[in-house]
Amino acid sequence: MDLRSFEDRIKNGGRLSANEALTLYRHAPTHWLGRMADGVRRRKHPEPVVTYIIDRNVNYTNVCVARCNFCAFYREVGHAEGYVLGFEEIFRKIEETQALGGVQLLLQGGHNPDLPIAWYEDLFRSVKQRYPDFKLHALSPPEVLHLSRTSRLPVPQVIDRLMAAGLDSIPGGGAEILVDRVRQLLNCYGKATSDEWLEVMRHAHRAGLRTTATMMYGTVETDEERLEHLLRLRALQDETGGFTAFITWSYQPEHTERGGAEATGIEYLRTLAIARLVLDNFDNLQASWVTQGGKVGQLSLAFGANDMGSVMIEENVVRAAGAVYCMDEVEIVRNVEDAGFQPKRRNMHYDILGDPFFRERSVPRTLELATARDAGDTSVPAELVNYPARSAAGKRQRSQPPASPVA
Amino acid sequence: MDINLAIAERARAGESLTAAELDELASADLLSLGMLADEVRRSRVGDTVTYVRVFEWSASARTGSGELRRDSAEAASGREGEPVPSKAGEIRIAVVPESLAGAVAAIGNARAAAPKVLLTAFSLADIVDRAWAPLVDVLRQLKSAGLDAIAEAPIDRVADLAGALQACQDAGLAARCLSLQKPVGGARIDLLVLLQTLAARFAWVQTVAPLPREQSVAVPTTGYDDVRAVAMARLALPAVRNIQVDWAQYGPKLAQVALTFGANDVDRVSPIDDETLGRRRTAVEDVKRNIAAAGFTPVERDLPFDSQRGGASPLAQGRPQ
Repeated sequence: MDLRSFEDRIKNGGRLSANEALTLYRHAPTHWLGRMADGVRRRKHPEPVVTYIIDRNVNYTNVCVARCNFCAFYREVGHAEGYVLGFEEIFRKIEETQALGGVQLLLQGGHNPDLPIAWYEDLFRSVKQRYPDFKLHALSPPEVLHLSRTSRLPVPQVIDRLMAAGLDSIPGGGAEILVDRVRQLLNCYGKATSDEWLEVMRHAHRAGLRTTATMMYGTVETDEERLEHLLRLRALQDETGGFTAFITWSYQPEHTERGGAEATGIEYLRTLAIARLVLDNFDNLQASWVTQGGKVGQLSLAFGANDMGSVMIEENVVRAAGAVYCMDEVEIVRNVEDAGFQPKRRNMHYDILGDPFFRERSVPRTLELATARDAGDTSVPAELVNYPARSAAGKRQRSQPPASPVA
Repeated sequence: MDINLAIAERARAGESLTAAELDELASADLLSLGMLADEVRRSRVGDTVTYVRVFEWSASARTGSGELRRDSAEAASGREGEPVPSKAGEIRIAVVPESLAGAVAAIGNARAAAPKVLLTAFSLADIVDRAWAPLVDVLRQLKSAGLDAIAEAPIDRVADLAGALQACQDAGLAARCLSLQKPVGGARIDLLVLLQTLAARFAWVQTVAPLPREQSVAVPTTGYDDVRAVAMARLALPAVRNIQVDWAQYGPKLAQVALTFGANDVDRVSPIDDETLGRRRTAVEDVKRNIAAAGFTPVERDLPFDSQRGGASPLAQGRPQ
């Protein structure tokens, strides 16, 4: 393998083909890949700045009919541990987030058949009414597709209605690997095929929304399929330019039906680096400290990442699968500065909002991420009776008189 | 900053770098430093990574009697009272009893429990702090009780480390590795120079664990700190064969990345094969998978200066007799 010829092409902004990317991914030395990715990052971001966002990762429900076999978070309809957050609970989380300098919710959840589109519209409108400047980065493509199916509305119309209610942007979750062979094996083909995921994003971009893109690797896919995923994202980005960032993370196997072992830290850094080289039309790559830990999260900054992602405040999905890392703003900033960069707060569009919030105002340290609810809290939000349920379990629950709220 | 080519050449040639050269290296670009350390490491020890499966015991500090109990991991798994796992390549006693008699008894009990397994114990700093008797006499008693090696000698906790290591040599009891107790940043040059001096004086010092044993929960060392420290140790210490990283403390991700920055030995792999989640999820398979995924060949060792059970002992020549 002639690394020098690759070096020259990459430094000159040349585009990698699928075969070239595969050769590098499989055979290039890890440090070499990192240096090339770092070079591309420096070309795209000449200022020594690493960004992050203060937002909260809220999962409004864990009830899901998709049954992806890599997921440890979901509960089946009617399960005793199934929950839906009430509007008041979500408002409280927003206020806690704002107190920490937060500017948005990353709001995602299961495919709950008992939450009609009106529930989402009412939630979004209520949030915007109470917190007009607060952003809603919400509902990954499979969730949009789920709403399209349950409401019998085409995807563009669902997106239009959600935007009218207050949706600001769409997170790139649910992409896993955008290859249908893989999706069938992961039992996530039904929730969204590769084409359907991309089509939702295409519609969102056309509607004027910006979105992120993700990749969860390390289950059943081949190296070729990881690269096919990246190339499909690159093609859509060529077409629409609507992706603001790319985030990759490794499958977290603990407590999942699929099981298996997690991909290693080196695989993560190599995957991140090759993504920086292949996704030449993406400006921003995030470090996934929540799956890799703070140390490898920081090392991501040497392998192509220019963003530390979110402070998160709360996380439920990868925690359910065994990852328990936490970085508050103080820790993110310390790691960014230790790596030789200037930390800057941003919004979802990557507009710089300012210097670290904790240096402007005293905020408490957070050494553990919050969860959606305290353990054992099975309360049912009162407002749910206003929305028709589709499942038998949901119908039975909503026909009962409301229980007293949990203190 | 790119690496000074002249310094890089001297490192590749296995020459001892000066404090000024180390200082310049420490400010080099992280990946360039890692590439150089990896190159030097491959030249020094090839593409193998050794690992050791350690069964940890604690002497009962409460009674000082030398009575042994299983370590917390073992107790947590509910196997109290069972014999030393057959896969253990080393038994290590971490906590020093209050009395020398207690320490001797602890060693005796551990030795009796597993006569053929490598037995290491205690931090040299703790033994020095106890001041039971002249150090060399203490070490001789511990050796007579059946101890194979002192578990570690933290370079930032012993005021006269050279003197303490001389006592080890005089007693015929090696320190398994030189270690660091507290975080000092990515590349504390004065400590590297001290290590150079010690390695030059005591040829049997063949293992250095450059990552600190203590970590703050609120302000842990960073990934950059850790891998830079590993790389600097590799480049500063051409006479030292093994740069070691603690699997149990630093975890698979950081430990694996450290292997590509100059580390070649993995410490404290569990000797217990819990196959509840399948063989692939056992501790040893996880280690082997991580080592292989980093581009190296995993080799288990179960002797202090050996690479494989019953294999050649490349470092034994320097072991004090």
